[in-house]
Amino acid sequence: MRNRTKRKLILFGALVAILLLAAIFAQVISPYDPNLQNYEIALQPPSFAHPFGTDRYGRDMLSRVIAGAQTSIFSTLLLVAVISVFGTLIGVACGYLGGLFDGVVMRISDICLAFPGLVFALAIAAVLNGGIQNAVLALAAISWPKYARLARSQTLSMKNADYMMAARLSGNTPLKMIVRHILPNITGPVLVTAMLDIGTMMMEIAALSFLGLGAKPPTAEWGSMMSGGRSMLQTYPWVVLTPGVAIFISVVLFNLLGDTIRDYLDPRSTHGK
Amino acid sequence: MKKYIGKRLLLLIPLLLGITFLSFAMMRIAGSDAILQKTEVSGVAVSEEAIEAQREELGLDKPFLVQYINWLGNFLRGDMGKSYISGEEVLDTFISKLPATLLLTGLSVLLTVVISLPLGILSAVKQNQWTDYLIRVCSFVGNSLPNFFVALVLMYLFAIQLGIFPVISEGMNLESAALPAITLAIAMSAKYLRQIRAAILEELSKEYVTGAKARGIPFSVTLWKSVFRSALVTILTLLALSIGNLLGGTAIIESIFMWDGVGKMAVDAINMRDYPVIQAYVVWMAIIYVVVNLITDLIYCFLDPRIRLGGEKE
Amino acid sequence: MRKKKIAAFLIFTLAAAFFAGCGHSESSEEKNTSGKKTFVYGVTNFNAENGETDINPHNDSSGWACIRYGVGETLFRFNDAMEIEPWLAESCENTDELTWEIILRENVNFTSGRHMDGEAVKECLEALVKEHERAAGDLKIEKITAQGQTVTIQTQVPVPALLNYLADPYGCIYDVQEGVTKDGIVCGTGPYKAVSLITDTNLELVKNEDYWNGEPKLDEITIRTISDGDTLTMALQSGEIDAAYGMPYASYPLFESEKYTFSSCATSRVFFGAMNYESEITSDPAVRKAICMGIDKEGFVETLLGGNGYPAQGVFPENFSFGGDAVQGEPYDPQGAKEVLEEAGWVDEDGDGTREKDGKKLILRWLTYPSRQELPLLAEAAQSTLKEIGFEVEVNNTADHSSIRADKDAWDIFVSAMVTAPTGDPEYFFTYRCLDSSSGNDGSYHSDELEKLEQEMMQTFDTEKRSQLAVKMQQTILDDHGYVFCSHLRMSIISKANVTGLAAHPCDYYEITADLDVA
Repeated sequence: MRNRTKRKLILFGALVAILLLAAIFAQVISPYDPNLQNYEIALQPPSFAHPFGTDRYGRDMLSRVIAGAQTSIFSTLLLVAVISVFGTLIGVACGYLGGLFDGVVMRISDICLAFPGLVFALAIAAVLNGGIQNAVLALAAISWPKYARLARSQTLSMKNADYMMAARLSGNTPLKMIVRHILPNITGPVLVTAMLDIGTMMMEIAALSFLGLGAKPPTAEWGSMMSGGRSMLQTYPWVVLTPGVAIFISVVLFNLLGDTIRDYLDPRSTHGK
Repeated sequence: MKKYIGKRLLLLIPLLLGITFLSFAMMRIAGSDAILQKTEVSGVAVSEEAIEAQREELGLDKPFLVQYINWLGNFLRGDMGKSYISGEEVLDTFISKLPATLLLTGLSVLLTVVISLPLGILSAVKQNQWTDYLIRVCSFVGNSLPNFFVALVLMYLFAIQLGIFPVISEGMNLESAALPAITLAIAMSAKYLRQIRAAILEELSKEYVTGAKARGIPFSVTLWKSVFRSALVTILTLLALSIGNLLGGTAIIESIFMWDGVGKMAVDAINMRDYPVIQAYVVWMAIIYVVVNLITDLIYCFLDPRIRLGGEKE
Repeated sequence: MRKKKIAAFLIFTLAAAFFAGCGHSESSEEKNTSGKKTFVYGVTNFNAENGETDINPHNDSSGWACIRYGVGETLFRFNDAMEIEPWLAESCENTDELTWEIILRENVNFTSGRHMDGEAVKECLEALVKEHERAAGDLKIEKITAQGQTVTIQTQVPVPALLNYLADPYGCIYDVQEGVTKDGIVCGTGPYKAVSLITDTNLELVKNEDYWNGEPKLDEITIRTISDGDTLTMALQSGEIDAAYGMPYASYPLFESEKYTFSSCATSRVFFGAMNYESEITSDPAVRKAICMGIDKEGFVETLLGGNGYPAQGVFPENFSFGGDAVQGEPYDPQGAKEVLEEAGWVDEDGDGTREKDGKKLILRWLTYPSRQELPLLAEAAQSTLKEIGFEVEVNNTADHSSIRADKDAWDIFVSAMVTAPTGDPEYFFTYRCLDSSSGNDGSYHSDELEKLEQEMMQTFDTEKRSQLAVKMQQTILDDHGYVFCSHLRMSIISKANVTGLAAHPCDYYEITADLDVA
């Protein structure tokens, strides 16, 4: 069983790595300049020269989907990295220090959690006037408490364990305790949560972009590409479907990898949150 | 138990204050002006003095904190101001549109339960058989499609190709609610059936299940009498969370399907920077969410004897 | 065990069937069984965002809805050549510069039952100037007197375009004594009578049995606000609506068949950019000239709008005597634009594709908004063509453009859409946009020449002379490159083939008339 999980881990890890490599080397592997407009060849269906067809500005869709991978995947990864690191640190601090700090921070996180997800993000993104950075910021503002709570409860359950007592008695400073003993132990659950969050976040960034609150032109981003082409679903479907399929495949891959990592780290339980 | 409820209710106060302050601050910091906005969109000229006068009338010229306290006072009296755009009482508009959203939310939750519960249990029972794989693949697919995309595709399939459902909703009826509700339920079911599966699997792996088997009790009896009941707490929590998520998640779907609820109202208001309406929406949605969560926790507390008997759940 | 499984599936299928079953109850066609002729009109623009919250002509831009959907009518109207002609009025005489004597039709009643006489019109116009600020500013009414079917209007100063202003949607005449309902419904004189209205959702109309100008052919009409273009497309495809206004261009090919009819015409809605004279970049005349030369208007109209528009020379489209080729703008000439920039000292020294001068990069901040589908397309198209001549264009496409626009340091060019001649008269555009006194002069444009011409315009009553002045005024702003006019909108109404009498009009005011019928 564990061997199978390991094989799956390698397989999905490799696929995600390919995706990331494609995103990193987008400029190198794109057959055309993703922003080059040419009205002569506008809205051409998929062909050998343009495997994904062209959009209404005559831009090569394949190149744009590849360029979009860079924007979409990296902004998602950045978002998840920021909220998981920031959220975890806050959570650990709360759990370890307790007291007033814990109370205040947890109330703030309660308030952030009280707003239904996308709505608050929508409002923030609207206030900040769009742009992919602002979309990321808006989603970060509402997503960190999840990690803070996870890290806090993990810390609490660990704090009073015997080996922690022993470590504390042997004169370790709180900072050392956190870095040496707590952080390594909560990396697993945080990593799993983060991996599974990537798909959700990618779709939420796409949703903000869809409403015009994400990437700005001519930046290729999957959500805004779909939003820009949505009225062409029936007439020129490749303009909508190619970025749609790209989002779909990436989300599936990250989800699969997340699941597998979870199974790998905790083979006994299939329970995840 | 009483103490627990009391504590939860007390905690509600700072939470509500925080919610109101944050939503107010956010909307005001933006600092842009709906009056100018309005004239621009309609493409018609209005004099500077008239704009100043309107700004004064709406209290946009006062300092920030004064504006908040005024606003909070009015809020407590049930006055959330008037829409910059339509000039109507925001609270009235909100209340008149709320039932539509609640209906849509209710239907989606119902549909989610109907889809995810049997499939989740089935998937857990048949763990690692083809039924399980099929269900999990479907769940992956459902979980990985942006809902605006699902909405467009469903609309195309059911309304144009098959002609079963209308594209635009004609008032509040099941026929009109079907497509938006299905769209919302697809994503939700995909998400929750995985968690239901996990919850059931966790119960199944417990010793009493093996024990029951050893004692010759039929598996179906164990499944429904014990496993399902124990997993119910998790499922209930998920449902409550799903209500919260849905309340917010309906916004995009409502505006795509022209469902005349508060979500569509909010998206329209965001586009027009109609702050009083956005505020009303954000604040009330948060309050509803908090209340739903509170109720869930209380139910949870009834169901879970460990909490009922004095201990406190963290 | 097996039974349970089956039961679970049964629940699921039952629920699915339950929903599917609801779908079969009724469709729009079956509703017609009562023998009533009905019509559903899907529109994108009847909403609060456009200032059309209801159909009360004295409320903001709601007059547009009042007149478009056949509820209200004005004293004068425009014909297809945008010339003014009497409508509810029978004739008009200009007894002196300040006095207008208007004779009304005899046979007109409001849907409230009241006869439309001089007194009723007087009440309505008095309410108008009291409640509608722009109307008050346009009409400058001193006094109105009524006697029988005659209304006499006296203005404070000469208002040469008074009749044009009276033809503006705000000039819809309704029964003021009957008043405005809570939902914003008024009783007009049009072929249809409003019975219910929900802002941003729908407006229900019934036939006006007592209409003065022929018998309306339909019994019931629903105006359905559908702000989303894709939903509108599918609603027309599925047959839930009979006609659509505001269809996205990308959907046009779906309706190019004998099952649908297009009615199109040029309007005076122009997509144009205003240069910011307070910006370091666009205050340079060479930069402005290069921008004007660097936008491929033909390509934009032909490819991106699918031919649904007209490349613009100046402010007004071709169907105006003072529009179209009466003036001359810069043609698309990327090579020439490069030379202009080169001569002015803008050169790309570091080879990154963007020109510099005195260490300043040629970055153009392009401010626009998304509520008109053409504007983001134009921004992205121009971004590409201007890049070729050495600009780096930063597009800021936001619904919140007004606060940014107020900050003159935050943008270089503001690109918007505007109906330049809502009253058929040319003066409005200049007084609103280009003068020192204009409230909408976003780029702080100033021209001594233009101010002088406007002084003349204000005093001129003769239509011919006003046209000549309009040409001179347009050429002045074009020669200064203070504005760049990209294209005029071709407005289309798409309807099912069995719909007749629904025609697009150049001023975009008249849509539902007594002629509208469904075969």
